[in-house]
Amino acid sequence: MDVEARKRSLRYFFAKVVEPLGYKFTPDDELADFLLEQESNLEAAHGSPFCPCQGRTQNREENMKIVCPCIPFHRDHFDHMKRCWCGLFVHKDVTEPDRLPQIPYDEFRKAKDAGGSGESR
Amino acid sequence: MKSVFMYTLSTCPWCKKTKKYFTDHDIPFQYVDYDLATVPEQEKIEQEMKKRSGPLSFPWVLIGDDLVVGWNPAKYDELMGLSKTS
Repeated sequence: MDVEARKRSLRYFFAKVVEPLGYKFTPDDELADFLLEQESNLEAAHGSPFCPCQGRTQNREENMKIVCPCIPFHRDHFDHMKRCWCGLFVHKDVTEPDRLPQIPYDEFRKAKDAGGSGESR
Repeated sequence: MKSVFMYTLSTCPWCKKTKKYFTDHDIPFQYVDYDLATVPEQEKIEQEMKKRSGPLSFPWVLIGDDLVVGWNPAKYDELMGLSKTS
């Protein structure tokens, strides 16, 4: 597998998927390159470009929810953080991705529940 | 000093940063790379993580009895009793 060619393909494909969702690639090019390389390797080893920062299990249905770009499966959570969990994508208005924290799902849920809304997962 | 244990992924840049944080602060820690573990080990880890925090999001850091999910150096500082400038 030509990893560099696959990274370019994934970048082209992902950009088209995330743009209508209100996201863009992180402006941190080094981070984006590293994550795309990990995803290319995961795809070669396991069949899909899984998120490098979330764990696969023996449950295929669960695993499909962490195939990049996994934004649609975690929309409320990621919108709350203005980034996806691994940080490959950020909201279109984000210019300083380093300032965006990773907020764990249970903390997000508590905040949403306190505010009266949330997502089902 | 509080004990530090973490579940990480070998593919995750935030996990690498977390390990580097504790290394740079001379804080000993133990870790398991979930993706490099055997399936039975992964299933045990999965149960523990889901019971305590939900999805399998990494890094998963246990400082003493306190759990921190995600790269959060300010929280690590706080739980380790380090000042911001340290």
